[in-house]
Amino acid sequence: MAESATHDAHVTSTGLSNVKLGMWLFLGSECLLFGGLISTYMLYRGRVSNGPTPEQIYDIPFTSVSSFVLLMSSLTMVLAVSAAHNKDDRGTNLWLSVTALLGATFVGGQVYEFTAFYNEGLGFTTSLFGSSFYTLTGFHGVHVTVGIIMLMALVAINKRSKVPGSKSETVEMIGLYWHFVDIVWIIIFTLVYLIPV
Amino acid sequence: MNHRGSFGRRDTTPFSVVMVKVRRLGQRVLVATGAVAVLGSCATNAPQDTWQPKGPNAKMIDDLQQPVFAVAGIIGIIVSVVITYAMWRYRDRGQPIPEQTHGKPALEITLTVIPALILAVVGVFTFRVIFDLARTDDTELVINVTGQQWWWEYDYPVQNEWGITQPIISSGQLVMPAGTKVLLRETSRDVIHSYWIPALNGKRDAVPGRIHTLRLEADEPGIYAGQCTEFCGLSHANMRMEAVALSKEDFAKWIANQQAAYRAPAEGTLAKEGESVFLNQCVRCHQVDGLKRPDGTLAIAAPDENVWSGAAPNLTKLMTRNTFAGAMFDLLRDACRDDVWKAKSAEFGAKYLAGVDETCLNVNDLRAWLRNAPEVKPMYANPALLADTNGKYRGMPNLGLSESDIDKLVAYLLTLK
Amino acid sequence: MAIIERPAPGSTVPALTPAPPAITPARTYGALRRPVATTGWKSWLFTVDHKKLGLMYGATALFFFIVGGLEAVLIRLQLAAPGGKVLNADLYNQMFTMHATTMVFLFVMPMAAGFANYFVPLQIGARDVAFPRINAFGFWCLLAGGIVVNLAWFLGGAADGGWFMYAPNSGPVFSPSHGVDFWTLGLQIAGIASLTGAINLIVTVLNMRAPGMTLMKMPIFTWMITVVQFLLLFAIPVITVALFLLTFQRSFGAQFFDVAAGADPLLWQHLFWIFGHPEVYVLILPSFGIISEVLPVFSRKPLFGYPFVVFSGAAIGFVGWGVWAHHMFASGLGPVSVAVFSLATMAIAVPTGVKIINWTLTMWGGKLVFTTAMKFAIGLVVLFTIGGLSGVTHSVAPSDTQQTDTYYIVAHFHYVLFGGAIFGIFSGFYYWWPKMFGKMLNERLGSWNFWLMVIGMNMTFGPMHILGLQGQPRRMYQWTEARAGEGFFNLAFWNLIASVGSLILTVGIGLFLINIVVTARSKVRAPLDPWNARSLEWMTSNPPKEHNFDSIPHVHHLDEFFHRKYEEDPTTHTMREVATAEEVLAELERNADKHIHMPSPSYWPLVLASGMPVVALGIIYSIPVAIVGGLIMLYALYGWALEPATAPESDFDSTSNNGHAVGASHG
Repeated sequence: MAESATHDAHVTSTGLSNVKLGMWLFLGSECLLFGGLISTYMLYRGRVSNGPTPEQIYDIPFTSVSSFVLLMSSLTMVLAVSAAHNKDDRGTNLWLSVTALLGATFVGGQVYEFTAFYNEGLGFTTSLFGSSFYTLTGFHGVHVTVGIIMLMALVAINKRSKVPGSKSETVEMIGLYWHFVDIVWIIIFTLVYLIPV
Repeated sequence: MNHRGSFGRRDTTPFSVVMVKVRRLGQRVLVATGAVAVLGSCATNAPQDTWQPKGPNAKMIDDLQQPVFAVAGIIGIIVSVVITYAMWRYRDRGQPIPEQTHGKPALEITLTVIPALILAVVGVFTFRVIFDLARTDDTELVINVTGQQWWWEYDYPVQNEWGITQPIISSGQLVMPAGTKVLLRETSRDVIHSYWIPALNGKRDAVPGRIHTLRLEADEPGIYAGQCTEFCGLSHANMRMEAVALSKEDFAKWIANQQAAYRAPAEGTLAKEGESVFLNQCVRCHQVDGLKRPDGTLAIAAPDENVWSGAAPNLTKLMTRNTFAGAMFDLLRDACRDDVWKAKSAEFGAKYLAGVDETCLNVNDLRAWLRNAPEVKPMYANPALLADTNGKYRGMPNLGLSESDIDKLVAYLLTLK
Repeated sequence: MAIIERPAPGSTVPALTPAPPAITPARTYGALRRPVATTGWKSWLFTVDHKKLGLMYGATALFFFIVGGLEAVLIRLQLAAPGGKVLNADLYNQMFTMHATTMVFLFVMPMAAGFANYFVPLQIGARDVAFPRINAFGFWCLLAGGIVVNLAWFLGGAADGGWFMYAPNSGPVFSPSHGVDFWTLGLQIAGIASLTGAINLIVTVLNMRAPGMTLMKMPIFTWMITVVQFLLLFAIPVITVALFLLTFQRSFGAQFFDVAAGADPLLWQHLFWIFGHPEVYVLILPSFGIISEVLPVFSRKPLFGYPFVVFSGAAIGFVGWGVWAHHMFASGLGPVSVAVFSLATMAIAVPTGVKIINWTLTMWGGKLVFTTAMKFAIGLVVLFTIGGLSGVTHSVAPSDTQQTDTYYIVAHFHYVLFGGAIFGIFSGFYYWWPKMFGKMLNERLGSWNFWLMVIGMNMTFGPMHILGLQGQPRRMYQWTEARAGEGFFNLAFWNLIASVGSLILTVGIGLFLINIVVTARSKVRAPLDPWNARSLEWMTSNPPKEHNFDSIPHVHHLDEFFHRKYEEDPTTHTMREVATAEEVLAELERNADKHIHMPSPSYWPLVLASGMPVVALGIIYSIPVAIVGGLIMLYALYGWALEPATAPESDFDSTSNNGHAVGASHG
């Protein structure tokens, strides 16, 4: 940190701002969280003592489309970050909103998928496969939802802000989070849906 | 120290020479300092002493660990002496504040490499023993061991070469032939337990849904104590085991007796009345092979309908065992028990095979058990908590038997030999 | 207080001096105005000051230390004689579960967090941590978690599955009370404290060091704390997953550990120990750090082989991830896994040994002053060596199958955790007390405290080596005479000795508590530099001002403070004093920064944390309650997001200052 009060608060030993470094560390921690959940799922996905098996209920085309939507949201997030760097508050807000919308579409797809699976007989307590599937994808869904809330809050705060580009660092930080959640989904989609048991 | 003898296997690799030297040095140090190890080999130690192997598997472990203990002891002494010396030599006597040296890398690296080398040597030996102890291809007799809250079931699958022509199901004591490579196949019906007879081998967890193997071999006939070592709930402390090694001839006798037909008590005796109490009460959970109902049908126990974990001890030939209630209690009075436990190995078989008779029966504990089992052994037999288990008991409930029923039952149980 | 005026040169301003009055916040954030109290309980409740939070962590930890200690005494009373009747089986199982849980999660970890909070910013020349409000939130989470875990005592019985909580014994059928539910949810909440604390401290250390303080000039305590925070950062999410799985099973009927449905009970063991083994180093490394500060100070020599100690600490941090299955040698992993983990475990003994060697060589050739802090530090070196060596005996996997789950293991980890972690913490108490409170703990009482603890500790845990090798398993609510033996090593005698030892230990620790009271009542102020110390935290007043340093020092040396006081005599190479501590401090004050903005107090961390136990109770008893808790948390987050970390002048009705924010960014 700065040696005296006359220095800029954002001069740090690493050159990274505190919030960005903090977010990187948090995401490192999240890797282990999802690592644990994914391992649990991989161990249990074939253990179906009751109810449908993965092959019987997965709807790969549908999930592929919603995965694509989520991937696209990473692109719009990049555009939001770039607009924030250019102190373009209108552009930032626009792209943040689009990102949130795409994220919400994904979560909506997940809600639809969960409902469909439930109707096909796969409940949370049906089998080890059910318990671990819903836990893993549910945790991911909660992460996306938290991301959407952060995006919308950011738009709201941005609109009240009088200084253009004053939140560019926050946009970048939430961007990191958003990309992380997307990457995790790519891993989950590959391991959970694409690789056969 | 000499009771440990030499290495289980001789070989001439440089490492083993080093180890033998270290071992000798360690022994000298231990003897010289009168350290615990010397006294640790006294015969009156606790029956679960881990430093008195009574079979080749435990011996292999012991031969591996003794030098490690010795080296660790030596290092501990060196460190303590050096620190004590430094404390005395460099105490503040008004000397000036010394030069601010930041270390000597060469010394540092040397002192890092030495322990690393010692550990590398230990590692090589450890590696070999791990794989030797995991062997299953030289097995001579297989016994299935199933843990359950809070007792062990021993199931001898059919093995004609041992005269086992029908499965034998027993509990309380693991009976096995001495000088024989026995392989336990362990599993559990509820939570994780761990099978441990320190004199014969290290412990191995019995995990529900998995089968783990454990080698056991006793050099001499005798009785070896053990204890469940994975925390398994309320009566974990009371889940004991005893392994009984018999000479091969005595083991054959034991097998024959276990498979002998059921002998119903004579009509008109107290024991016969006890048999009907047993049929009314106990047979819901406890199997006695060959026991018939008054209508001539075989009485088949259904513990799976009454006990959460799904089984209750099979009581066929109960009085050939020396313990009951998961080996928590002895069936023998103290004097009779001591007679068996302290018998010389040549006489042990005959004494053990004599089983339990009326004069030796530990009648007090048995009656207390029949009167109200959960009072003498903590179990989740509280009806208030049975909702979680679909009304099934965890452990033996209080049956509310009258004293006269208990008289009859004891008389009947004494006939199960 | 948000805005601190430059103190008059030469004055030694105590930390709790009331700040200038008559500043009241005008704006509200989420319905609440910013708290402004600088004295009284409110100044603690809403504080974001790392020093106050450090003390709060410490006080909480000390309270739980007493709780856990009383649990231990009850355990030893029960086991003093065969067939003990002090506790029944059910209570005994709760007691040993909660003893371990309390000591690990609610004493050693928060105590280390307290020291870290207090001293890491001071040691690196910072004015606060990177995220002060998150820091406050972490403390309140810890407190909430500790309360939730212990609440079970009054609501049907505490957790009874052992601190390792192996499945399936922790499942709803085998542990029918709500104890395990409170345990999982309470630890989940306490885990948030560890995770946020880890991120906070790592960012603080990486980003906020004083100019000139390169990583290899960082005090060793800060180094060890940094390693610990990385361990926590990656270990906490793993236990989080395990706890979630168990909560989902117990509260929502998931099947994760239901063997009948095909579950594998070893899943829990792997998840638990992947967390649990790094956790062991989380417990011990802070104490290694403490004594690596104390030994050089009282040897009047720098730490021998500083880079080796740093790298061995980091090495322990890495290899610590590859040894978890040595807790499972008896679990039936198969010989290949057992062999690999056995060798990895031996490997980790090497960097640990390096530390012992370096501490010994630090004392070698020094000028040793045997203060109480020094005694505890040397005690750690010796006792930890014993524990480390017994650890080597069970890195040998076959040997471990004879030792695991016996009292030999209990002896081993009490030598490393009591003789190691706790002796280090006590060394820290005596060493840093004058820094934290401006008064020195009584050294005479301290000496009694030390010796009674050494005797009590060895009497309690020493015999457990014998008990374990004689085959007495752990976690037994009673032991029986039938398995006790008769010789010199009979279980009866040594169990009794251990129980008597635990009482001596209790007296020893009681003396420490008495010492706190005696010290608090004493009117004697500590000198500025009572120990002739070496690192930056001593280069400020006792206790430090709220803003820590009047001007941030430029660092040129490891042991910067020492080198400002002493210079080497070119002929004899011994050191001679060139400046007193007071002179060094006066120099800093002369160059004091004009305006220093400190992060402002906030209600939101407390409000946010208070929602968590509500959620926990809701999950156990009634979901609507959990929703209420969730709403409280959402509301707190809303207020938090609106509120700037450092109050701008426009918040206040008097705007006489015009400075820049320093020391911390948004949190």
